[in-house]
Amino acid sequence: MFKKRLFLTIVFCLLSLQVGSAFAGQDDAWLTLQKASQAARELSYKGVFVYQSGSITKSVQLTHMSYGQGEYARMVVLDGAPREVLSQGADVVIFSPKNEKMMIEKKRGQNMFPALLPSNMDAIRISYQAQSGTIERIGGRDAFVITLTPRDQMRYGYRFWVDKEYGLLLKVTTLSEQGEALEQISFNQLTWMDGQNMDWFKPKFDPSKSYVMDQEGPAKANTSEMDWEVSQLPAGYRKVDLVKQPVQGKVAPVTQIIFSDGLASISVFIEPLAKGARSKVGHTAVGATNFYALVHDGHQVMVVGEVPEAAVTQFANAVTFKNKK
Amino acid sequence: MKEKISALMDGDLAIEDAEYLMKAVKTDGEVAGSWSTYHLIGDVMRGNHVLRHDMTASIMREIAKQPTVLAPKASLSVNKPMIWSVAASVAALFFVGMVVLNQQSQEANLVPIEIAQNVPSEYLLAHQSMSPSNAAYFIQPAAFVQDK
Repeated sequence: MFKKRLFLTIVFCLLSLQVGSAFAGQDDAWLTLQKASQAARELSYKGVFVYQSGSITKSVQLTHMSYGQGEYARMVVLDGAPREVLSQGADVVIFSPKNEKMMIEKKRGQNMFPALLPSNMDAIRISYQAQSGTIERIGGRDAFVITLTPRDQMRYGYRFWVDKEYGLLLKVTTLSEQGEALEQISFNQLTWMDGQNMDWFKPKFDPSKSYVMDQEGPAKANTSEMDWEVSQLPAGYRKVDLVKQPVQGKVAPVTQIIFSDGLASISVFIEPLAKGARSKVGHTAVGATNFYALVHDGHQVMVVGEVPEAAVTQFANAVTFKNKK
Repeated sequence: MKEKISALMDGDLAIEDAEYLMKAVKTDGEVAGSWSTYHLIGDVMRGNHVLRHDMTASIMREIAKQPTVLAPKASLSVNKPMIWSVAASVAALFFVGMVVLNQQSQEANLVPIEIAQNVPSEYLLAHQSMSPSNAAYFIQPAAFVQDK
């Protein structure tokens, strides 16, 4: 009898804890994510993380240092084709060997793991619900588990593991509508760095090789020269860029608009169908990436994004031409 | 000395007057260094981005090959007709090839490609390179589609 009462008391306590945390959880969870976004940029650390998508697994060595006012990082891909990425502030340079030559590619800064979260959480709060969970161990460190559930079918869910002590993001998975992991990045080894020694900040490649700067980059495009637009965006998405981008196998650069909800991003490509070129249609998916292609008014429309099928389909169908004959 | 090298490369100094400079480039390590650096800078300014990490060795090799007498080479006009006839046949071949290719692709135009059968990885690469948060691009650009 006594045992049964004790059992009930315990159950009751657990239940009330759960209910309590569900209310306080939302704000706490957002606060933890906010901290993770900051920690990834402000802390100095070194480790190896593993990236998994579909059947692909790659280990990457990462060194990140906050030095003076700036942020420096070096990523070395350890599996498969050699590749190195050096970043300083918003400038990113990628080194990859290609047929006896070293390709050097300059890119605009992006949010790289573990700095995947935007610095402003408000932008993603309207698209996702946050929930704190248990504490799990990742790469030898205790981490808070926070799940972001999408408020509609226009994006995936995410689960974040945030270091309990320093607030650094240790692991992230992209979750399908069914809750399966589509993509995952996770530290399996992490140490903090002391001091301000910058000796590590250089690419380690054979210096006798010829260097080739990759000139093909996107050029800024103008809205005024476009005769089409993407109307009625799904809630939470906003346009972040508009460029003319060289696409492999295309003679002329293709117009590309990039949309983002703060976490997920979608590209809409539009080009006039060239005479004699075969058009592309239909849907396909690879890992977390969905593709949707259709032909509209003599134009090839191609939508690509790390979002569910419903989202790429909706974006493709939202393209309208201004000067309809 | 550095100003002289710069002037020679800009064409402000006649090459006939620069024999002593060429000698210096061959013998003096420091002068050879400036020679290499100025060429590199010139290449970059002209937008020729094929940079070689260490050009000094190859430039010195080229210099060593040159005769000391700085006279222009005799004209190569004897070879010209031959070159033109080769060029003409290449052009003719190219033209025929283009006609054949055009005919082929116009026939193919009737059938759109189902992307489910043929993943458009060229677009994926362009997407990844521009999207604001994309881990994949830095680690494994689009090749991950071709692996499939």
